[in-house]
This record gives sequence, structure tokens and C-alpha cells, in this order.
Amino acid sequence: MFATTNQDTAQQLLQVVGLSGSGLPAQLDKLASADARYLKDLKINVTNALDAATLNKKEAYLIGVAVAMNEKLGTLQSAFEKLATEAGATEKDIAETISCTSLMNANNVYYRFRHFVNKEFYTNAPAGIRMSIMANPVLGKEFFELLSLVVSALNGCEMCVTSHEEALLKHGTEPQRVADAVRLGAVVKSLVVVLA
Amino acid sequence: MKNAVLSVGAQFPEFKKKAVVSIEKGKEFYDISSEEIRSSGKWMVMFWWPKDFTFVCPTEIAEFNKHFQDFSDRDAILIGASTDSEFVHAAWRRDHDDLRGLQFPMLADTSKSLANELGILEAEEKIAYRATFIVDPQGIVRWTSIYDLNVGRSVKEVIRVLDALQTDELCPCNWQKGEATLTA
Repeated sequence: MFATTNQDTAQQLLQVVGLSGSGLPAQLDKLASADARYLKDLKINVTNALDAATLNKKEAYLIGVAVAMNEKLGTLQSAFEKLATEAGATEKDIAETISCTSLMNANNVYYRFRHFVNKEFYTNAPAGIRMSIMANPVLGKEFFELLSLVVSALNGCEMCVTSHEEALLKHGTEPQRVADAVRLGAVVKSLVVVLA
Repeated sequence: MKNAVLSVGAQFPEFKKKAVVSIEKGKEFYDISSEEIRSSGKWMVMFWWPKDFTFVCPTEIAEFNKHFQDFSDRDAILIGASTDSEFVHAAWRRDHDDLRGLQFPMLADTSKSLANELGILEAEEKIAYRATFIVDPQGIVRWTSIYDLNVGRSVKEVIRVLDALQTDELCPCNWQKGEATLTA
């Protein structure tokens, strides 16, 4: 009576991120055909992370856009863009999310270098990277910081992570919101490696 | 009047009860026992409502049903229960649009013995309060909530609690210094 039937967890997972209708990517297919226990964990992680109480739907999906782009998975990025649009994101919001992700890819590399080497010359020399979009973001400064933090955490730049986290707390962001955003980034990345 | 609701850490009582599992003729009834649930190795979420054919109940029951998949993803057997008989359950299920497609069993505690052991019977009418129990695979109660007759529940909260009971405990990243090593 209580044996679990193989309900299609893989398809449900794709549905959660707006990718239903397409076939199963190879890794996902391997998990589904072996009825792997992890598949349910992954689905629950993704669902819960997107549903975090401190993030609204639009914010959660925009973080999804940033992570999918950072991890170079175009199909997932488009799917998140569509979900974000349905949740009220404008073209400008999405363009800014893309811009932020791109800019962080420059900053994360350069500042990580500076932090690794830790020599006076590099620390004092101007970075020379234009970042005018930080001045007046359409997404608002706080959410722009939050996106920057998530992307920086993915790219492993310690200096960027610590400074964006501090900037957020100065904005009055609750630590729980910071944790929820970074968890979402982490979980979406765990999804990307299965979909890629 | 004093009532003692079975709470966290207690062994969930043994039971064997008739349940409605379908509206298809000849397939309506099934005997559910605590033994079968324990041997399945799964968690159990059992939620109670006061009376069939009342208003707040179907909304709440439909909400649990909407999340049936979420419970099954979490290896939890979902069971709905009241002190109505299996025939009343079956009639209500056939009668109400929101209840025909139910995916979980409706347990009939007609003798009220289980509700009594759980300590959730209302004194006047001897009907069950809106109690919810989360029971782990070892048959131990891990969460109890009890609402008065007219107060609806949040199914999301039940799922959140189930997640919290099931999540994180195995990863070495969460081990605190000085804790014994996990032997899972």
C-alpha cells in the first residue's frame, strides 16, 4: 500500500525551474532511471530555496538568472528569465541582472588576484574596471548588492564576498535574507551540474 | 477537564483501522495498521479533523492533498483521520468535488480509541481537535500540533517542520566540535 511508485520526480523538478516539456538531460536521466534517492533531495532543495520567505518570487528568479548565466547554462537562464518576467521583472531588470553577473565576473577575478597576492602596488593601483551600473541600479542598491554577493560566492572571491556581505548588513538587510540568497545560489548551481 | 496530548518523544500508539482509499466500487476500504507503516520504513504525517461534511474541513483536506507529492518526496505517509465511520468518509468523498481525487487514506476511528489514546478528543462531543502528528520511521512522535475546532492549519508549516526534522543532520559540515561522530 505505501510503496512509493516512481512518480516522475525528474519532470517535476524541471517544471519547478520552467524547463518542462523538454527531454531529460543525460545526468538527470541516469538519476531517474536508477530511481536515485538524491533526485528527491534535489527537487526539495530547489523548491525550498526558490520559496525562501525572505525573497519574493521575482528576486528568487532573478538570482536564478544570474546563477544560470554565471554557470553558462543558456537554457536554464532563459527559463528563469521567463519565470522572472511572469513574476513582474521588466526587460531592464533582466538586463541589469545580466550586467551585474558579467561585471562580477571581472571583479571576482581581479579582486581575487589582489587578495591572493596582497602586495602594496596592486592594492593601491586603481582597478581600472568601469562599474558605472553600480551607481544607480534599477533593481535598487540592496538587491544589486545581494546579486553581487551570490555571484561572488559562486566564483569564490573572498574579498568580494566579505565586502558585499558587509555592505548588505549596512543597508539593513537581515542576515537570514543573505543566507537565503546564497543558499539559492548554491542549490541552483547543484542543479546546473546535473542539467549541463 | 484535563487532557494530555501525546507529545514529542512518545511512542505513537499501535492501531489497526478501516480507511477509505478510493471511490471506486469494491476498492473503497483498506485496513491500515501501525505495523504496516513501521515496516515501510517511512515517516508518517497524521492529521485529524472534527467532523466530515463540515465547512472548514474540505478546504484544509484539499490543501493537504495538493501537497501529497511533497510528503511522498519526503518519504512520509500522509493519513487523514476523524472519528467518523468509513461509510461516512466514503459518502463525503463521493459527495464533495474537492475530495473525490484524494490521494491519501481517510482513516475511520469509529470507536474513538486512537483519538482517545492520542489525547485529542474534545470533552463535549467527543470529536477530534485539529491535531497533526509527525512520526518518525521508528514510530516516535517528533511533532504535535493541536488547534481548536474552528482553526485551520498551514500545510506549509507541516512540511517545513518535516524538512527541519529530516534535513542537515548527516553532513559533516554541520558537526559541532566535540560532538560524537555520526554513525548513519
